Amino acid sequence: MNIFISGGCKNGKSYFAQSLAKMQAASGLPLYYIATMKPVDNEDQARILRHRQEREGWGFTTIEKGTGIGSLEADFSGSFLLDSVTALLSNEMFQKDGTIDQSAHLRIADELTELTRKCSNMVFVSDYIYSDAERYDTFTECYRKGLAWIDRSLARNCEAVIEVAYGRVQIIKGPDGFLDNIGGLEY
Amino acid sequence: MHLIFGGAYQGKLDYAKERYGVTERDVWDCALLPGGHGEQTGSTLINHIDYSKKVIDHLEAFILACVKSGEEAKELLADSKALWKDSVIICADISSGIVPCDAELRAWREMTGRTLMYLGTEAQEVTRIFCGIPQKVK
Repeated sequence: MNIFISGGCKNGKSYFAQSLAKMQAASGLPLYYIATMKPVDNEDQARILRHRQEREGWGFTTIEKGTGIGSLEADFSGSFLLDSVTALLSNEMFQKDGTIDQSAHLRIADELTELTRKCSNMVFVSDYIYSDAERYDTFTECYRKGLAWIDRSLARNCEAVIEVAYGRVQIIKGPDGFLDNIGGLEY
Repeated sequence: MHLIFGGAYQGKLDYAKERYGVTERDVWDCALLPGGHGEQTGSTLINHIDYSKKVIDHLEAFILACVKSGEEAKELLADSKALWKDSVIICADISSGIVPCDAELRAWREMTGRTLMYLGTEAQEVTRIFCGIPQKVK
């Protein structure tokens, strides 16, 4: 099943998503982790190393794909985890020369929609950054609006939508009984 | 009254338009009011609302005006309750970020919370929109 997960930061989304992806590979399908972070400094390198260590033993094959997600090559009958949509957008929207690509969200939304057609077992992770009381600069506001565009597109095209809020997993959209038979799922 | 809330850019107005079969012409946008950014008081703004329009959007902009003019939004709304009892009211949920450093934004965040609690009680129906998907709250 294609599943879209969002929620606040650092609340267990990624771990829950890893569990779902592993569950979807339970019948012996190849299991892929699409890594989206583009390291810019040593701090990022260390973070990536830590994430890789955390995933060790889960059986993921890691594919680095921070930009151009539409050209992803893999066995599409497999189970995928894409973490995160948030990073895909910042990688493509904010250019090295300080300009912003204002159509990045449209392109990424289309590419991800295409992936939901090619693949039937993909878990997408995004971040819910829309409920704070802050005035942002134009760049940040453009990013929030763009990410919301992609999120809404994925929420429409995935069979299931889940909100994770500090350990509380809420099914916003999904077939009846979805998640009922996941006793072995750790989250 | 039907209260629709949710984060920024989640599709609240799109949902209202589709649900009630209305267009932009039937939407009163509080953020576009003259003084929607604090040049006028909350009471001036609320008196400008055209209640013949089905949808009252961006209520949070009206609430910000109330913060600036030192008025309590839910009291002004309570005074005009008869006028909006058949309306659809849309308000951004701004409750879940870091507490703002700016005192005005802090007051706005809290007044929005109080106002939504009041409207939630008064509403016949309450819907939250998450990534374009409606969730029935009441």
